[in-house]
Amino acid sequence: MKLSKEANKVLERSMRQNRVTPEERRDIEDLISIMPDDRVLLYKNVVSNPIGDLYRYSIHIRIQHMLTFTTFLALAFTGLPIHFFDAFWAQPLNEVLGGISVTRVIHRTLAAIMIFSMVYHLATILLGTAVRVARGTFDIQRTIIPLFKDLRDFRDDMLYFIGRRSERPEMDKFMYKQKIHYFAAAFGNMVMVLSGSSFLFPDIWASILPAEYAAHFQELMRISHPHEALLALLVIAFWHWYNVHLAPGRFPMQWTFLTGKITREHQMEEHWLEYLRNLVENAEERQYLRDLLESRELVPLDVEMGTPAPAGEGDAT
Amino acid sequence: MRGAWWKGLRLALAMGAMAAGQAATAGFVDDEGCLMCHKYPRMARVTEEGVLRSYYVMPDVFSITVHRNVPCRDCHTYIKELPHRPVEEGVTCNTECHSIKNPATGKPFSHKAIYDAYIGSVHGRKKIEEGLDGDKPYCVTCHTNPVYNPKEEKPPGRILDRCVLCHEDYDFVEQWYRHTSRRIKEVRRSSIEIVELCSGCHADERLIERHVRDAEEKERPLGRKFPVAAKSYQESFHGKLTRYGFTRTANCLDCHANHDNYYKSVHEIRPSRDPESPVSAENRVNTCRRCHTRADENYARLDPHPSSEKEQNVFKHYVEVIYGLIGDVVILGLVGLSFLETLGRRRDGVVWRLKRGSSWWRKSKRNRDRIV
Repeated sequence: MKLSKEANKVLERSMRQNRVTPEERRDIEDLISIMPDDRVLLYKNVVSNPIGDLYRYSIHIRIQHMLTFTTFLALAFTGLPIHFFDAFWAQPLNEVLGGISVTRVIHRTLAAIMIFSMVYHLATILLGTAVRVARGTFDIQRTIIPLFKDLRDFRDDMLYFIGRRSERPEMDKFMYKQKIHYFAAAFGNMVMVLSGSSFLFPDIWASILPAEYAAHFQELMRISHPHEALLALLVIAFWHWYNVHLAPGRFPMQWTFLTGKITREHQMEEHWLEYLRNLVENAEERQYLRDLLESRELVPLDVEMGTPAPAGEGDAT
Repeated sequence: MRGAWWKGLRLALAMGAMAAGQAATAGFVDDEGCLMCHKYPRMARVTEEGVLRSYYVMPDVFSITVHRNVPCRDCHTYIKELPHRPVEEGVTCNTECHSIKNPATGKPFSHKAIYDAYIGSVHGRKKIEEGLDGDKPYCVTCHTNPVYNPKEEKPPGRILDRCVLCHEDYDFVEQWYRHTSRRIKEVRRSSIEIVELCSGCHADERLIERHVRDAEEKERPLGRKFPVAAKSYQESFHGKLTRYGFTRTANCLDCHANHDNYYKSVHEIRPSRDPESPVSAENRVNTCRRCHTRADENYARLDPHPSSEKEQNVFKHYVEVIYGLIGDVVILGLVGLSFLETLGRRRDGVVWRLKRGSSWWRKSKRNRDRIV
């Protein structure tokens, strides 16, 4: 396979950061050279363990996700009957929880746990980044920070979905969807914390803000809290659960949030650049891929004599 | 005011039902002979406005109400003969009772002090009033002739039996108990009842429209929140908490009446443009501070009657519009993206699959299938 310019840069940076030995470098370059040009053929032919093949999330991130989603759902479960108190379904829900006064206390307690999870997450990513910078292994493309490339990826992915492109763009560890979702959740959390605190401490907020904005801020927050909550709930139900549960290839569940691992076919399809880093960092994965290429006769003709290359449309990136 | 009459009638019927179920109460002495006619349950008429008005008096019930000792003609002063002429003036609550002396002062008892406060308030009106002032509440809109302790079927024997040992007269002791126990118990309306009471008029859209139109025509001042007073309270934090059944949250009177002299002040509600109103620009901070101890000038600017109507609050109106649009666009966009993604990937051969292995078993339309 002839790597794209972008993929090549990522591979080179990864090899440099991992201080690979000349033997390893030769091994990696050799492996890349015997890959078929059509990346799609790779992920169509790998065997994936649904529980995950390749490391992706640390235990901290998994705990944070766990804390965030359990508190988020429980906050929605307690917040909705508080907001829609008069609705026919709200009364029994409040009664089950011990009455609206209890529901409110539970809601606030859960909010405190969710805020803890936010702080924990911030500490994790800041400290993790600091460590990577110190070790010289930091790579901005491997982070969740949105880059111009994400816009290109989005355009190219849309072209693939409508059939105007033969394969998906070469995306990084975090693709555009994940970046949108991450920042939507981060923004949503901030809104919920801000607006929730304005319900709890209206007098403090009023005294901090300039007089001409105090009332508008409170009005904005009053509207934001339920709207943001409902929007987040709908996004989770219609989009996030689709992406991690219902989408073909992820069905019935992506186990990453528990095991911290992603399946091989998923990594190759949606996070190709990260897969290249996996090849650099993980000798076993190199061996797996080499065995696969040979056993499935996927090695191009000009590399392995007498082995025909399969029909593919080539790399369109 | 029509609603108030119906409420009064319903209360009278309820009291009747209650009276039927309880043991005989202290007797009602009809010295004036009013019961000759008013003892008949069907003593009623339908007014020109189509309202059924009952003139039926239930002696058993009347004898356990707060006015039990007031002879009929102390209030119905215009009755000079029996049978009497059609009544053209109603009972006003500022008359002095000839028969009841104020035990503290020895003067004839009267509600005049409260009445005068009420007349000077924004609600003040004459008993018979025409035009828009007829929409204002009169005493009987809020006050009927209440039963002493509606929740108490009978005064407790263990108390009365003890009192009667010295006071000898059982009827006297029972009446005395009813009077004092009512005063000791909390008879103030609950927050929910106060909001309901005020909403009787302030949520009446036709009434509001009449007054808004009239104010525009005559260019007289009208509170900015008048058109949305009840509705916006329900949307507010206070309103919500009141609906939850919380008692320590502000109801209408907590802000619009002065708590230094609460029981008088609730009768002399003033518009917020009146500097003496507890919600006037001058007094607002102090009123907020009664509960929100850290409230300052900025806090007093927060709107306790939030409304999303464009005329009331342009900012809030457009925030809601924009939030609604964002919600629709985001959800439609993301669902659309999911559809597109599924279609695009399925075209290339992906399938929903439970088992371990690959998800790319379907035949690709791009001529590159999994090698089986």
